[in-house]
Amino acid sequence: MTEELRTEEFEVNMGPQHPSTHGVCRFVLKMDGEQIVDLVPHVGYLHRALEKIAENRTYLQYIPFTDRIDYVSAMFCNYGFCLALEKLAKVEVPERAEYIRVIMMELNRIASHLIWLGTFALDIGAVTPFLYAFREREKIMDLFEMVCGQRMTFNYMRVGGVSRDLNPEFIPKAKEFTDYFEPKVDEYEDILTNNPIFLARTKGIGVLPKKLAIDYSVTGPNLRATGFKWDLRKNEPYSVYDRFSFEIPTGGNSDTWDRYMVRIREMREANRIAKQALEQIPEGDFRKKVPVLFKPPAGEVYTRVESTRGEMGFYIISDGTTKPYRVKLRTASFSNLAVLPEITKGCLIADLVAIFASFDVIMPDVDR
Amino acid sequence: MDPEKIKKALLEKFPEKIEEKEVCDFSPALQVDKDIILEVSRFLKGSKELSYDLLSCMVGVDRGDGFEVIYCLFSFEQKHKLTLKVPLPKDNPEIESVTPVWNAANWHEREIAELFGIKFLNHPDPRGILLPEDWDEGYPMRRDWEGRDFVRLPEK
Repeated sequence: MTEELRTEEFEVNMGPQHPSTHGVCRFVLKMDGEQIVDLVPHVGYLHRALEKIAENRTYLQYIPFTDRIDYVSAMFCNYGFCLALEKLAKVEVPERAEYIRVIMMELNRIASHLIWLGTFALDIGAVTPFLYAFREREKIMDLFEMVCGQRMTFNYMRVGGVSRDLNPEFIPKAKEFTDYFEPKVDEYEDILTNNPIFLARTKGIGVLPKKLAIDYSVTGPNLRATGFKWDLRKNEPYSVYDRFSFEIPTGGNSDTWDRYMVRIREMREANRIAKQALEQIPEGDFRKKVPVLFKPPAGEVYTRVESTRGEMGFYIISDGTTKPYRVKLRTASFSNLAVLPEITKGCLIADLVAIFASFDVIMPDVDR
Repeated sequence: MDPEKIKKALLEKFPEKIEEKEVCDFSPALQVDKDIILEVSRFLKGSKELSYDLLSCMVGVDRGDGFEVIYCLFSFEQKHKLTLKVPLPKDNPEIESVTPVWNAANWHEREIAELFGIKFLNHPDPRGILLPEDWDEGYPMRRDWEGRDFVRLPEK
Protein backbone atom coordinates (compact mmCIF):
# COMPACT_ATOMS: atom_id res chain seq x y z
CA MET A 1 0.00 0.00 0.00
CA THR A 2 1.79 3.08 -1.19
CA GLU A 3 -1.24 5.29 -1.50
CA GLU A 4 -1.41 7.84 1.26
CA LEU A 5 -4.35 7.65 3.69
CA ARG A 6 -6.50 10.74 3.64
CA THR A 7 -9.77 12.01 5.10
CA GLU A 8 -12.41 14.16 3.52
CA GLU A 9 -15.81 15.62 4.27
CA PHE A 10 -18.77 13.90 2.70
CA GLU A 11 -22.45 14.63 2.21
CA VAL A 12 -25.30 12.56 3.63
CA ASN A 13 -28.93 12.90 2.69
CA MET A 14 -31.42 12.41 5.52
CA GLY A 15 -35.08 12.27 4.65
CA PRO A 16 -37.55 13.29 3.33
CA GLN A 17 -38.87 9.81 4.14
CA HIS A 18 -37.03 9.26 7.38
CA PRO A 19 -38.82 8.07 10.51
CA SER A 20 -37.14 10.61 12.77
CA THR A 21 -38.00 13.66 10.67
CA HIS A 22 -41.60 13.62 11.94
CA GLY A 23 -43.21 14.26 8.63
CA VAL A 24 -41.52 15.10 5.40
CA CYS A 25 -38.37 17.07 6.03
CA ARG A 26 -35.05 16.62 4.31
CA PHE A 27 -31.63 17.48 5.65
CA VAL A 28 -28.49 17.58 3.58
CA LEU A 29 -25.65 17.02 6.01
CA LYS A 30 -22.00 17.72 5.44
CA MET A 31 -20.17 15.27 7.66
CA ASP A 32 -16.68 14.96 9.03
CA GLY A 33 -16.80 11.35 10.16
CA GLU A 34 -19.65 11.23 12.68
CA GLN A 35 -19.66 14.97 13.20
CA ILE A 36 -21.94 17.41 11.44
CA VAL A 37 -20.07 20.24 9.73
CA ASP A 38 -23.07 21.80 8.06
CA LEU A 39 -26.78 21.13 7.88
CA VAL A 40 -29.15 22.44 5.23
CA PRO A 41 -32.86 21.82 5.83
CA HIS A 42 -35.09 21.47 2.78
CA VAL A 43 -38.74 22.06 3.53
CA GLY A 44 -41.86 22.55 1.45
CA TYR A 45 -42.85 18.95 0.77
CA LEU A 46 -46.16 19.56 2.51
CA HIS A 47 -46.83 23.00 1.08
CA ARG A 48 -50.57 23.08 0.41
CA ALA A 49 -50.83 26.80 -0.29
CA LEU A 50 -53.21 27.35 2.61
CA GLU A 51 -52.62 31.10 2.33
CA LYS A 52 -53.64 31.12 -1.32
CA ILE A 53 -56.71 28.99 -0.64
CA ALA A 54 -57.84 31.59 1.91
CA GLU A 55 -58.30 34.17 -0.86
CA ASN A 56 -60.99 31.97 -2.36
CA ARG A 57 -62.97 30.91 0.70
CA THR A 58 -65.40 32.65 3.01
CA TYR A 59 -64.28 33.05 6.61
CA LEU A 60 -66.45 30.17 7.78
CA GLN A 61 -65.23 27.92 4.98
CA TYR A 62 -61.64 28.60 5.94
CA ILE A 63 -61.92 27.29 9.52
CA PRO A 64 -61.54 23.60 8.46
CA PHE A 65 -58.38 24.59 6.60
CA THR A 66 -56.86 26.00 9.77
CA ASP A 67 -57.15 22.48 11.24
CA ARG A 68 -54.62 21.36 8.67
CA ILE A 69 -51.96 23.89 9.63
CA ASP A 70 -50.86 22.04 12.72
CA TYR A 71 -53.02 18.96 12.81
CA VAL A 72 -51.61 17.75 16.13
CA SER A 73 -52.87 20.84 17.95
CA ALA A 74 -55.65 21.96 15.66
CA MET A 75 -57.68 23.66 18.41
CA PHE A 76 -55.09 26.42 18.63
CA CYS A 77 -55.21 27.08 14.89
CA ASN A 78 -59.01 27.19 15.03
CA TYR A 79 -58.86 29.52 17.98
CA GLY A 80 -56.17 31.84 16.62
CA PHE A 81 -58.11 32.42 13.43
CA CYS A 82 -61.39 33.08 15.25
CA LEU A 83 -59.71 35.31 17.82
CA ALA A 84 -58.17 37.50 15.12
CA LEU A 85 -61.55 37.94 13.46
CA GLU A 86 -63.27 38.61 16.77
CA LYS A 87 -60.77 41.35 17.48
CA LEU A 88 -61.17 42.86 14.03
CA ALA A 89 -64.97 42.78 14.08
CA LYS A 90 -65.19 43.46 17.84
CA VAL A 91 -67.34 40.40 18.50
CA GLU A 92 -67.99 39.69 22.14
CA VAL A 93 -67.79 36.04 23.05
CA PRO A 94 -70.05 34.51 25.75
CA GLU A 95 -68.25 33.42 28.88
CA ARG A 96 -69.22 29.79 28.57
CA ALA A 97 -67.76 29.66 25.07
CA GLU A 98 -64.44 31.02 26.36
CA TYR A 99 -64.33 28.34 29.04
CA ILE A 100 -65.11 25.61 26.53
CA ARG A 101 -62.31 26.92 24.32
CA VAL A 102 -59.81 26.94 27.16
CA ILE A 103 -60.72 23.38 28.15
CA MET A 104 -60.35 22.21 24.56
CA MET A 105 -57.06 24.00 24.05
CA GLU A 106 -55.49 22.72 27.22
CA LEU A 107 -56.62 19.15 26.55
CA ASN A 108 -55.21 19.58 23.08
CA ARG A 109 -51.93 20.80 24.56
CA ILE A 110 -51.69 17.63 26.62
CA ALA A 111 -52.54 15.46 23.61
CA SER A 112 -49.94 17.20 21.49
CA HIS A 113 -47.25 16.97 24.16
CA LEU A 114 -48.08 13.28 24.53
CA ILE A 115 -47.43 12.67 20.85
CA TRP A 116 -44.20 14.61 21.21
CA LEU A 117 -43.17 12.61 24.28
CA GLY A 118 -43.89 9.30 22.60
CA THR A 119 -42.01 10.07 19.41
CA PHE A 120 -39.15 11.81 21.18
CA ALA A 121 -38.56 8.81 23.42
CA LEU A 122 -38.95 6.50 20.44
CA ASP A 123 -36.31 8.41 18.49
CA ILE A 124 -33.90 8.04 21.37
CA GLY A 125 -34.66 4.34 21.62
CA ALA A 126 -37.24 3.98 24.40
CA VAL A 127 -40.36 2.28 23.11
CA THR A 128 -42.44 2.06 26.29
CA PRO A 129 -43.24 5.79 26.73
CA PHE A 130 -44.73 5.77 23.24
CA LEU A 131 -47.25 3.14 24.28
CA TYR A 132 -48.02 4.93 27.54
CA ALA A 133 -48.44 8.30 25.83
CA PHE A 134 -50.80 6.97 23.20
CA ARG A 135 -52.86 5.20 25.84
CA GLU A 136 -53.65 8.54 27.51
CA ARG A 137 -53.97 10.43 24.25
CA GLU A 138 -56.66 8.01 23.18
CA LYS A 139 -58.81 9.15 26.10
CA ILE A 140 -58.43 12.79 25.08
CA MET A 141 -59.33 11.93 21.50
CA ASP A 142 -62.48 10.23 22.81
CA LEU A 143 -63.38 13.41 24.67
CA PHE A 144 -62.92 15.47 21.52
CA GLU A 145 -64.97 13.04 19.53
CA MET A 146 -67.74 13.36 22.07
CA VAL A 147 -67.78 17.14 21.67
CA CYS A 148 -67.25 17.76 17.98
CA GLY A 149 -67.42 14.37 16.28
CA GLN A 150 -63.80 14.49 15.18
CA ARG A 151 -60.65 13.07 16.65
CA MET A 152 -58.10 15.20 14.87
CA THR A 153 -59.28 17.92 12.51
CA PHE A 154 -61.91 19.37 14.77
CA ASN A 155 -63.43 22.36 12.96
CA TYR A 156 -64.94 23.17 16.35
CA MET A 157 -64.47 26.89 16.97
CA ARG A 158 -66.49 29.60 15.31
CA VAL A 159 -66.30 33.34 15.25
CA GLY A 160 -68.17 34.22 18.43
CA GLY A 161 -67.95 30.86 20.17
CA VAL A 162 -67.92 27.17 19.35
CA SER A 163 -69.96 25.14 16.89
CA ARG A 164 -72.02 23.23 19.46
CA ASP A 165 -72.48 23.06 23.19
CA LEU A 166 -70.83 20.46 25.39
CA ASN A 167 -72.42 17.07 25.56
CA PRO A 168 -73.92 16.64 29.09
CA GLU A 169 -71.65 13.65 29.69
CA PHE A 170 -68.56 15.62 28.77
CA ILE A 171 -67.84 17.48 32.00
CA PRO A 172 -67.91 14.42 34.33
CA LYS A 173 -65.88 12.43 31.78
CA ALA A 174 -63.34 15.21 31.42
CA LYS A 175 -63.04 15.62 35.18
CA GLU A 176 -62.46 11.91 35.44
CA PHE A 177 -59.70 12.24 32.86
CA THR A 178 -57.92 15.10 34.62
CA ASP A 179 -57.84 13.07 37.85
CA TYR A 180 -56.66 10.02 35.98
CA PHE A 181 -53.96 11.88 34.08
CA GLU A 182 -52.20 13.58 36.99
CA PRO A 183 -50.36 10.51 38.33
CA LYS A 184 -49.67 9.28 34.80
CA VAL A 185 -47.12 12.05 34.26
CA ASP A 186 -45.13 10.58 37.16
CA GLU A 187 -45.11 7.30 35.29
CA TYR A 188 -43.47 8.90 32.26
CA GLU A 189 -40.99 10.60 34.50
CA ASP A 190 -40.15 7.32 36.24
CA ILE A 191 -39.09 5.86 32.93
CA LEU A 192 -37.17 8.81 31.53
CA THR A 193 -36.21 11.70 33.77
CA ASN A 194 -33.35 10.09 35.68
CA ASN A 195 -32.66 7.22 33.35
CA PRO A 196 -28.85 7.15 32.79
CA ILE A 197 -29.14 6.32 29.09
CA PHE A 198 -31.68 9.07 28.60
CA LEU A 199 -29.48 11.54 30.48
CA ALA A 200 -26.46 10.62 28.38
CA ARG A 201 -28.44 11.24 25.21
CA THR A 202 -29.98 14.56 26.29
CA LYS A 203 -27.91 16.39 28.96
CA GLY A 204 -25.80 19.13 27.42
CA ILE A 205 -26.86 18.16 23.90
CA GLY A 206 -28.07 20.80 21.45
CA VAL A 207 -27.68 23.87 23.62
CA LEU A 208 -29.68 26.79 22.26
CA PRO A 209 -28.57 30.06 23.91
CA LYS A 210 -31.32 32.51 24.78
CA LYS A 211 -29.94 35.28 22.58
CA LEU A 212 -29.81 33.04 19.55
CA ALA A 213 -33.32 31.78 20.25
CA ILE A 214 -34.75 35.31 20.29
CA ASP A 215 -32.74 36.31 17.22
CA TYR A 216 -34.38 33.46 15.32
CA SER A 217 -37.82 34.12 16.88
CA VAL A 218 -37.89 30.73 18.58
CA THR A 219 -40.88 30.69 20.90
CA GLY A 220 -42.87 28.34 23.08
CA PRO A 221 -41.35 25.58 25.21
CA ASN A 222 -38.08 25.82 23.28
CA LEU A 223 -37.67 29.43 24.38
CA ARG A 224 -38.79 28.68 27.93
CA ALA A 225 -36.18 25.93 28.13
CA THR A 226 -33.53 28.65 27.90
CA GLY A 227 -34.74 29.93 31.25
CA PHE A 228 -36.74 32.80 29.80
CA LYS A 229 -40.13 33.09 31.44
CA TRP A 230 -42.40 34.04 28.57
CA ASP A 231 -45.84 32.73 27.90
CA LEU A 232 -48.54 34.69 26.10
CA ARG A 233 -51.19 33.08 28.30
CA LYS A 234 -49.61 34.82 31.27
CA ASN A 235 -47.90 37.86 29.75
CA GLU A 236 -50.66 38.94 27.38
CA PRO A 237 -53.68 37.05 28.65
CA TYR A 238 -56.36 36.34 26.08
CA SER A 239 -59.63 34.45 26.50
CA VAL A 240 -60.11 33.75 30.22
CA TYR A 241 -56.58 32.64 31.04
CA ASP A 242 -56.19 35.37 33.65
CA ARG A 243 -58.70 33.57 35.87
CA PHE A 244 -56.64 30.44 36.44
CA SER A 245 -53.59 29.89 38.56
CA PHE A 246 -50.77 28.12 36.80
CA GLU A 247 -47.00 28.24 36.57
CA ILE A 248 -44.78 28.84 33.57
CA PRO A 249 -42.18 26.06 33.62
CA THR A 250 -38.72 27.15 32.54
CA GLY A 251 -35.37 25.44 32.11
CA GLY A 252 -31.88 26.75 32.72
CA ASN A 253 -29.39 24.95 30.52
CA SER A 254 -31.46 25.12 27.33
CA ASP A 255 -30.35 21.64 26.29
CA THR A 256 -32.42 18.74 25.05
CA TRP A 257 -33.16 17.56 28.57
CA ASP A 258 -34.51 20.98 29.54
CA ARG A 259 -36.80 21.01 26.55
CA TYR A 260 -38.05 17.61 27.68
CA MET A 261 -38.56 18.76 31.26
CA VAL A 262 -40.37 21.96 30.29
CA ARG A 263 -42.91 20.00 28.25
CA ILE A 264 -43.40 17.41 30.98
CA ARG A 265 -44.14 20.17 33.47
CA GLU A 266 -46.34 21.96 30.95
CA MET A 267 -48.52 18.88 30.74
CA ARG A 268 -49.10 19.09 34.48
CA GLU A 269 -49.92 22.81 34.24
CA ALA A 270 -52.26 22.28 31.29
CA ASN A 271 -54.02 19.60 33.30
CA ARG A 272 -54.30 22.05 36.18
CA ILE A 273 -55.86 24.72 33.97
CA ALA A 274 -58.30 22.24 32.45
CA LYS A 275 -59.29 21.11 35.94
CA GLN A 276 -59.98 24.66 37.12
CA ALA A 277 -61.89 25.51 33.97
CA LEU A 278 -64.05 22.40 34.35
CA GLU A 279 -64.88 23.45 37.92
CA GLN A 280 -65.67 27.06 37.07
CA ILE A 281 -67.48 26.70 33.75
CA PRO A 282 -70.68 28.79 33.85
CA GLU A 283 -74.01 28.11 32.19
CA GLY A 284 -75.05 30.24 29.26
CA ASP A 285 -74.71 30.60 25.52
CA PHE A 286 -72.01 28.69 23.70
CA ARG A 287 -71.96 31.02 20.73
CA LYS A 288 -72.82 34.54 19.84
CA LYS A 289 -74.92 34.63 16.69
CA VAL A 290 -72.80 35.77 13.77
CA PRO A 291 -74.05 35.66 10.16
CA VAL A 292 -72.87 32.70 8.09
CA LEU A 293 -71.55 35.10 5.47
CA PHE A 294 -69.54 36.92 8.09
CA LYS A 295 -68.20 40.28 6.90
CA PRO A 296 -65.63 41.89 9.18
CA PRO A 297 -65.01 45.59 8.58
CA ALA A 298 -62.18 46.48 6.21
CA GLY A 299 -58.94 46.54 8.14
CA GLU A 300 -55.96 44.55 9.28
CA VAL A 301 -55.27 42.53 12.38
CA TYR A 302 -52.39 40.55 13.79
CA THR A 303 -52.93 38.35 16.83
CA ARG A 304 -50.78 35.76 18.51
CA VAL A 305 -51.76 32.87 20.73
CA GLU A 306 -49.55 30.52 22.71
CA SER A 307 -49.96 27.25 20.87
CA THR A 308 -48.26 24.01 21.86
CA ARG A 309 -45.20 24.89 19.81
CA GLY A 310 -45.01 28.60 20.48
CA GLU A 311 -46.43 31.72 18.96
CA MET A 312 -49.19 31.04 16.49
CA GLY A 313 -49.99 34.27 14.68
CA PHE A 314 -52.64 35.24 12.17
CA TYR A 315 -52.26 38.35 10.04
CA ILE A 316 -55.59 38.93 8.34
CA ILE A 317 -56.34 41.68 5.85
CA SER A 318 -60.03 42.19 5.25
CA ASP A 319 -61.42 44.32 2.44
CA GLY A 320 -64.92 44.25 3.88
CA THR A 321 -66.17 41.38 1.71
CA THR A 322 -67.04 37.83 2.73
CA LYS A 323 -63.58 36.55 1.79
CA PRO A 324 -60.27 37.55 3.32
CA TYR A 325 -57.96 39.59 1.10
CA ARG A 326 -54.91 37.99 2.65
CA VAL A 327 -54.30 35.54 5.48
CA LYS A 328 -50.75 35.08 6.69
CA LEU A 329 -50.09 32.19 9.02
CA ARG A 330 -47.24 32.73 11.40
CA THR A 331 -46.43 29.28 12.65
CA ALA A 332 -44.09 28.43 15.48
CA SER A 333 -42.46 25.44 13.81
CA PHE A 334 -41.32 27.56 10.85
CA SER A 335 -39.14 29.73 13.07
CA ASN A 336 -38.17 26.92 15.42
CA LEU A 337 -36.79 24.84 12.56
CA ALA A 338 -34.80 27.73 11.06
CA VAL A 339 -32.46 27.78 14.05
CA LEU A 340 -31.52 24.10 13.72
CA PRO A 341 -28.47 24.55 11.43
CA GLU A 342 -26.95 26.94 13.98
CA ILE A 343 -27.05 24.60 16.94
CA THR A 344 -26.23 21.28 15.29
CA LYS A 345 -22.79 22.24 14.01
CA GLY A 346 -20.25 19.95 15.63
CA CYS A 347 -22.90 17.54 16.92
CA LEU A 348 -22.91 13.83 16.26
CA ILE A 349 -25.41 12.61 13.71
CA ALA A 350 -27.16 10.55 16.39
CA ASP A 351 -27.62 13.71 18.45
CA LEU A 352 -29.29 15.45 15.54
CA VAL A 353 -32.13 12.97 15.86
CA ALA A 354 -32.51 13.76 19.57
CA ILE A 355 -32.25 17.52 19.07
CA PHE A 356 -34.68 17.63 16.19
CA ALA A 357 -37.19 15.52 18.11
CA SER A 358 -36.83 17.74 21.19
CA PHE A 359 -37.76 20.80 19.10
CA ASP A 360 -41.20 19.34 18.47
CA VAL A 361 -41.40 20.55 14.88
CA ILE A 362 -44.47 19.52 12.91
CA MET A 363 -43.87 19.67 9.19
CA PRO A 364 -47.34 20.79 7.99
CA ASP A 365 -46.92 23.64 10.45
CA VAL A 366 -43.69 24.65 8.68
CA ASP A 367 -44.89 24.28 5.11
CA ARG A 368 -48.52 25.36 5.48
CA MET B 1 -43.48 52.22 26.07
CA ASP B 2 -46.56 54.13 25.12
CA PRO B 3 -47.46 53.89 21.37
CA GLU B 4 -47.45 57.69 21.03
CA LYS B 5 -43.89 57.87 22.32
CA ILE B 6 -42.69 55.16 19.93
CA LYS B 7 -44.22 57.07 17.05
CA LYS B 8 -42.56 60.29 18.20
CA ALA B 9 -39.16 58.67 18.62
CA LEU B 10 -39.29 57.34 15.06
CA LEU B 11 -40.65 60.53 13.55
CA GLU B 12 -37.89 62.52 15.18
CA LYS B 13 -35.20 60.18 13.93
CA PHE B 14 -36.53 59.78 10.38
CA PRO B 15 -38.63 62.83 9.51
CA GLU B 16 -40.77 62.81 6.38
CA LYS B 17 -40.18 59.13 5.68
CA ILE B 18 -42.75 57.75 8.10
CA GLU B 19 -46.51 57.79 7.98
CA GLU B 20 -49.13 56.53 10.38
CA LYS B 21 -51.28 53.46 9.56
CA GLU B 22 -53.67 51.23 11.44
CA VAL B 23 -53.45 47.59 12.48
CA CYS B 24 -55.76 46.09 15.06
CA ASP B 25 -54.08 44.51 18.10
CA PHE B 26 -50.52 45.21 16.95
CA SER B 27 -50.20 48.97 17.16
CA PRO B 28 -48.60 51.37 16.57
CA ALA B 29 -48.41 50.77 12.83
CA LEU B 30 -46.16 52.93 10.71
CA GLN B 31 -45.48 53.11 7.02
CA VAL B 32 -41.82 53.43 6.19
CA ASP B 33 -39.99 54.39 3.03
CA LYS B 34 -38.24 51.37 1.52
CA ASP B 35 -34.87 53.13 1.17
CA ILE B 36 -34.41 53.42 4.92
CA ILE B 37 -35.71 50.02 6.05
CA LEU B 38 -32.32 48.65 7.08
CA GLU B 39 -31.45 51.85 8.90
CA VAL B 40 -34.82 51.88 10.70
CA SER B 41 -34.44 48.19 11.63
CA ARG B 42 -30.99 48.76 13.10
CA PHE B 43 -32.33 51.71 15.08
CA LEU B 44 -35.36 49.76 16.33
CA LYS B 45 -33.27 46.88 17.55
CA GLY B 46 -30.31 48.89 18.82
CA SER B 47 -32.08 51.69 20.65
CA LYS B 48 -32.26 51.09 24.40
CA GLU B 49 -35.78 52.48 24.83
CA LEU B 50 -37.18 50.58 21.86
CA SER B 51 -35.11 47.35 21.74
CA TYR B 52 -37.34 45.41 19.34
CA ASP B 53 -35.64 42.05 19.63
CA LEU B 54 -38.31 39.72 18.24
CA LEU B 55 -39.32 39.73 14.59
CA SER B 56 -42.55 37.86 15.12
CA CYS B 57 -43.75 37.77 11.54
CA MET B 58 -43.15 39.05 8.05
CA VAL B 59 -46.02 39.35 5.61
CA GLY B 60 -45.99 39.92 1.88
CA VAL B 61 -49.08 41.48 0.33
CA ASP B 62 -50.06 42.14 -3.27
CA ARG B 63 -52.13 45.32 -3.19
CA GLY B 64 -52.94 45.20 -6.89
CA ASP B 65 -51.21 48.47 -7.73
CA GLY B 66 -48.08 47.51 -5.83
CA PHE B 67 -46.67 45.29 -3.13
CA GLU B 68 -46.21 45.66 0.56
CA VAL B 69 -43.92 43.98 3.04
CA ILE B 70 -45.09 44.03 6.66
CA TYR B 71 -42.87 43.46 9.69
CA CYS B 72 -44.46 42.61 13.04
CA LEU B 73 -42.03 43.45 15.81
CA PHE B 74 -42.11 42.88 19.51
CA SER B 75 -39.84 43.81 22.38
CA PHE B 76 -39.50 41.30 25.22
CA GLU B 77 -37.80 43.91 27.37
CA GLN B 78 -40.24 46.79 26.94
CA LYS B 79 -43.30 44.63 26.12
CA HIS B 80 -44.37 46.81 23.24
CA LYS B 81 -45.33 46.05 19.67
CA LEU B 82 -44.84 47.66 16.31
CA THR B 83 -46.05 46.97 12.79
CA LEU B 84 -43.87 48.36 10.01
CA LYS B 85 -45.33 48.57 6.53
CA VAL B 86 -43.20 49.14 3.50
CA PRO B 87 -44.90 49.79 0.15
CA LEU B 88 -43.09 48.61 -2.97
CA PRO B 89 -43.74 49.43 -6.65
CA LYS B 90 -45.50 46.94 -8.93
CA ASP B 91 -42.63 46.80 -11.38
CA ASN B 92 -39.37 45.43 -10.13
CA PRO B 93 -40.13 45.30 -6.39
CA GLU B 94 -36.88 45.33 -4.45
CA ILE B 95 -36.06 45.88 -0.81
CA GLU B 96 -33.01 45.58 1.40
CA SER B 97 -32.91 42.36 3.44
CA VAL B 98 -33.14 42.76 7.22
CA THR B 99 -31.54 39.38 7.93
CA PRO B 100 -28.39 41.07 9.30
CA VAL B 101 -30.58 42.61 12.01
CA TRP B 102 -32.93 39.71 12.81
CA ASN B 103 -31.90 36.25 11.66
CA ALA B 104 -35.56 35.24 11.81
CA ALA B 105 -36.09 37.28 8.63
CA ASN B 106 -34.00 34.81 6.63
CA TRP B 107 -36.68 32.19 5.97
CA HIS B 108 -39.53 34.70 5.87
CA GLU B 109 -37.77 36.67 3.15
CA ARG B 110 -37.03 33.55 1.17
CA GLU B 111 -40.70 32.67 1.33
CA ILE B 112 -41.90 36.13 0.27
CA ALA B 113 -39.32 36.30 -2.52
CA GLU B 114 -40.46 32.97 -3.88
CA LEU B 115 -44.20 33.46 -3.61
CA PHE B 116 -44.47 37.16 -4.53
CA GLY B 117 -41.39 37.77 -6.65
CA ILE B 118 -40.11 40.51 -4.36
CA LYS B 119 -36.32 40.72 -4.47
CA PHE B 120 -34.48 41.02 -1.18
CA LEU B 121 -31.12 42.68 -1.77
CA ASN B 122 -28.04 41.30 -0.03
CA HIS B 123 -29.91 38.27 1.30
CA PRO B 124 -27.36 35.70 2.52
CA ASP B 125 -29.19 32.68 1.09
CA PRO B 126 -31.51 33.66 -1.77
CA ARG B 127 -32.85 30.19 -2.60
CA GLY B 128 -36.50 29.23 -2.79
CA ILE B 129 -38.04 27.49 0.19
CA LEU B 130 -41.57 26.13 -0.18
CA LEU B 131 -42.12 25.49 -3.89
CA PRO B 132 -40.62 22.57 -5.85
CA GLU B 133 -37.10 23.12 -7.15
CA ASP B 134 -38.24 22.98 -10.79
CA TRP B 135 -41.19 25.37 -10.33
CA ASP B 136 -41.59 27.66 -13.35
CA GLU B 137 -45.17 28.87 -13.12
CA GLY B 138 -44.51 32.32 -11.79
CA TYR B 139 -45.29 33.81 -8.39
CA PRO B 140 -48.39 32.07 -7.01
CA MET B 141 -49.30 34.52 -4.26
CA ARG B 142 -49.72 37.44 -6.65
CA ARG B 143 -53.37 38.38 -7.10
CA ASP B 144 -53.20 38.12 -10.90
CA TRP B 145 -51.56 34.69 -10.88
CA GLU B 146 -53.30 32.04 -12.93
CA GLY B 147 -52.57 28.41 -12.29
CA ARG B 148 -53.82 25.16 -13.75
CA ASP B 149 -55.99 24.31 -10.76
CA PHE B 150 -56.74 27.75 -9.43
CA VAL B 151 -59.93 29.52 -10.38
CA ARG B 152 -60.84 32.69 -8.56
CA LEU B 153 -64.43 32.40 -7.37
CA PRO B 154 -66.76 35.38 -7.82
CA GLU B 155 -67.82 37.42 -4.81
CA LYS B 156 -71.23 36.39 -3.54
